[in-house]
Amino acid sequence: MGACLDNVPVGQTIRVRAVSLSSEEREWLGAVGIVAGEVLTVLRRAAFGGPMHVRTEDGGEFAIAQSLAAAIETESAG
Amino acid sequence: MTAECHTEPAPEAAKGGEAQTRSGLRVVLVGRPNSGKSSLYNTLTGGNAHVGNYPGVTVDILEADVALEGGRIATVCDLPGFYSLAATVDADTDEGIARRFLDAPHDGPRLVTQVIDATQLGLGLTLTKELLRRGEALQLVVTQNDLLEADDRRLDATALEAALGVPVCLVTGRDRAARTRVLEALTAHPLGATSAGTWEPKALARSVIRSIEAGAPSTGILGPSRRQRATAALDRLLLHPLLGPVLFVGIMTLIFAAVFLVADPASDAVNWVMGLLGKLITRGLGNGLLASFLVDGVLGGAGTVLAFMPQIVILTVAMELLDATGYLARGAFLVDRVLRFMGLSGRSFLPLLMGHACAVPAISATRIIRDPRERLTTILVLPLMTCSARIPTYALVVSTFFSDRGALFRAALFVGLYFAGLLAGLLASLALRRTATKGRGLPLVLEMPSYRTPQPLLVAKKGYLAAKRFLRDVGTTILAVAAVLWVLLNVPVPGRGSPSDPVIERSVAAAVGQGLEPITRPAGFDWRMNVALVGSFGARELMVGTMGVILGVEDADNDTTTLAQKIRDAKKPDGSPQYTTRTGLSLLAFFVLACQCMSTVAAIRRETKSLRWPAFVLAYTYGVAYLASVLVYQLAGAFGIA
Repeated sequence: MGACLDNVPVGQTIRVRAVSLSSEEREWLGAVGIVAGEVLTVLRRAAFGGPMHVRTEDGGEFAIAQSLAAAIETESAG
Repeated sequence: MTAECHTEPAPEAAKGGEAQTRSGLRVVLVGRPNSGKSSLYNTLTGGNAHVGNYPGVTVDILEADVALEGGRIATVCDLPGFYSLAATVDADTDEGIARRFLDAPHDGPRLVTQVIDATQLGLGLTLTKELLRRGEALQLVVTQNDLLEADDRRLDATALEAALGVPVCLVTGRDRAARTRVLEALTAHPLGATSAGTWEPKALARSVIRSIEAGAPSTGILGPSRRQRATAALDRLLLHPLLGPVLFVGIMTLIFAAVFLVADPASDAVNWVMGLLGKLITRGLGNGLLASFLVDGVLGGAGTVLAFMPQIVILTVAMELLDATGYLARGAFLVDRVLRFMGLSGRSFLPLLMGHACAVPAISATRIIRDPRERLTTILVLPLMTCSARIPTYALVVSTFFSDRGALFRAALFVGLYFAGLLAGLLASLALRRTATKGRGLPLVLEMPSYRTPQPLLVAKKGYLAAKRFLRDVGTTILAVAAVLWVLLNVPVPGRGSPSDPVIERSVAAAVGQGLEPITRPAGFDWRMNVALVGSFGARELMVGTMGVILGVEDADNDTTTLAQKIRDAKKPDGSPQYTTRTGLSLLAFFVLACQCMSTVAAIRRETKSLRWPAFVLAYTYGVAYLASVLVYQLAGAFGIA
């Protein structure tokens, strides 16, 4: 099992393996395009535990709260 | 580039009945935020818009009629941007409003036109699938193709159309031919029901975006586009851990400086015109009651409304520019951590920022907040943000009691008042999130759009609409309150005082003010101040003008120097000054906290659909404002401040 998204270093590209959230939160993430199988690149982290800035494979960029990122399990994108 | 549309010819049977079936055709524009939907709406309608009236949909949905071929008319409606119809949490958010609109029964034929950004095709097609599952008659308009081509890629519209079974039209945002092509495409649309099919959004997007040179479908991960590379370079600067926050504060300061620098002369001009009109009326009608009502009541109220318009328009235009460039989302990213201290998130940033101009549009802007608890909390603390209507009173108090202090001290006091509003909002939010709006919130998920050049026409239109809404939502209230206040200040209570006393001292308002003195004395307010505070209950903008009327200063809104002097000169019966620095500080504390704005109360009622929350806001802000005033007045006395 790979690291959760909140532990992925900036600049690394990973694949979402599973999203362990309530159905409400999972649906919302899915609506913007973050679902299991999606490839994400971590662009940056805001200071003091602020949100993460990620880019999806489709080119969409999103800010995601650290607490959500901690529930997104990842694996190697390769 | 020219617009390129692919449409299946309409079946002959449908064409035969066209004149009848297409009458009353409603074209509903939908799409993800930042997909270019507003731009297409503007292109199709020429920027015309009026607010539609839809049963069950209580918010403004812009619509305009456009002429189709053969003289028929279609109504184009612009729904708020949304990501998904399936993942709706709160019926009053943008997604909820869009869903209610689409679910509502409709007369006549309806065509849903989905706007998709070509550079994010896979994400847009997820929504397409949801719309097709609903069986909507659908047309796709794919924008930003120029950006795709700049990266040597193109969209195979024929292949996409074949896979989806609905017409697909390719346009660019600034393409002049786009309007004709899109209208042709929707005229030819068979308006038949659709089904979702078995395609998968991301795989379909990959199969229809081809390399221009090779003509083969793109495979694997698409590299970042040219615009994304430019965005990444800008983000390295604007979201830099140290430089980013500094630039953010600089940009916000610039906006507020612009609001004051540009709005002040404009407001002065409005006041000058109103003063001139007042003189003309007085010259024509004399100094009678009617002239006084028209000049002080109606014109005074109208002048107050119009004097605030420049600030509202400038701040709205600034917000729109920030939003259209994509920077607003960066601001939300930067302040999310700070707002989390308040129990809010970066999504509340835009409404809270707008609240510094006027709480009324800011309360409507909370619809972008997806979490119902966070949205309600933001609505409840918005009245504490330092809106522009507080500024004249702050300026009056500062010039009355602190004119002997240096400019730097006075500027610091002003900034301190802004921060006092923010601090009050922070504390109120913390308290609310532990009590009235308690519960787990939805963490932040926010799109960070690529940076774009704003379209001046679109931004100007938003500024115009903001001005119109301000006049409608706030202006009418201020005007009504000003007129009622004039009556209360000019109608004497029979048998009160002697006829030789000024009317103002025998008025209904004075009776109310004196009745309140036992309650307000610990805060340092006398009956005159009470009258001004009661007068500004409906609209705090009226405070300065009302003080002017009470102290017999004509044109107090334009010339606060005389009013400041009168306030300093006012004496108690024992000859000591009636108003001192203590009174000024106490009044400032009251103004920072009290929700003296009926338009805001009405907006809270409209957005929360209850009487409970507006009543709650009135109770908690007035309660805290009174306690703070008493505390400030008494503490200032204890510390020996005169």
